[in-house]
Amino acid sequence: MWNFRKHASAAGILAALACSSAAQAVPTQGTFGSTSTGIINISASVPSRVQITGLSDVAFTNQDPTVAASNAQNICVFSNTAGKKYNITATGNSAGAGGGGTAFTIGGTGLTAAPYTVEWAQTSGAASGTALTSTTTLTGQASTATTPTCTGGSPVTTATLFVKMSTAALQAMQSSATYSGTLTLVVGPE
Amino acid sequence: MRLGLLAALCACGAAVCASQARAQSNNVRITGLSDVALGSLSSASDTKVAQNICAFSSSATKGYHVTASGLAGGPLVLTNGGSTLAYEVQWNGASGQSSGTNLSANVPVGGFTSSATQQQCNSGPTTSASLIVIVRASSAASAAGGNYSGALTLILGPE
Repeated sequence: MWNFRKHASAAGILAALACSSAAQAVPTQGTFGSTSTGIINISASVPSRVQITGLSDVAFTNQDPTVAASNAQNICVFSNTAGKKYNITATGNSAGAGGGGTAFTIGGTGLTAAPYTVEWAQTSGAASGTALTSTTTLTGQASTATTPTCTGGSPVTTATLFVKMSTAALQAMQSSATYSGTLTLVVGPE
Repeated sequence: MRLGLLAALCACGAAVCASQARAQSNNVRITGLSDVALGSLSSASDTKVAQNICAFSSSATKGYHVTASGLAGGPLVLTNGGSTLAYEVQWNGASGQSSGTNLSANVPVGGFTSSATQQQCNSGPTTSASLIVIVRASSAASAAGGNYSGALTLILGPE
């Protein structure tokens, strides 16, 4: 098995509205009367946030080395910036010769690491995506998610992640050996 | 002459009666309000700010009701351009509280009794009620990034 792991009253209201629309200084303290109206200003800030969820591990099991392997999965990416923009950076890591560092490889002790490729599409259900280079950030992506984990009326998925292995890479792998590696995806706000 | 005196007494009596009627009318006052700066909102936990204020009622029972309204006299939301962020308002008839009765926009909530003995709490208890403003983590998590603000209007009425 070759295995990837990823990780008041209406009148009162109207009176209040009239007061607030007059752009008077706040807070406004109430006066003594049959009703008394006070107004305060409330302020808050929301920092830019992103979240990636819905990821699944990828396993190419008993893969025919004469047929290229491909796995596509629909995932959720949320961004709260204007335009829901984000960027993404992928990094790989595996054991085995040639598997150190950040390359997109799977490997194991005593094995020569085998390369794979990663593609990203900013829509779910895509047929193909933009090839990612390890540690190189793909910018200008946009999400349609309305909640951080794509629940509660949001589109349930917003992007497609592809992991692929070429026949050349498959044919260079040792049979009946278990290859594994880690693919890390980092999403940032834009 | 007697008739004239009687008329004068009646007129005086009427004036006394009218004066007594005005003194007995129920009035209220809300003071001691401060703006609320919630700061940078957490998406992991609710953000809550409570303040002690003075709610005064001259009614026999010192009872009052309160009505909250937000954006343009309507919903309790903050705005950032075209984006909105919902918040909650709670009211407690005692000062020093961190929770209270939830107020919905434009819905009077009654049953509160003031401990204030002076209109602006200048004597007696210095505050008599708690106003709590809350932004839920779930709302903050889904909100667009940016700076939000909005006016909250509170209207007291006697009971």
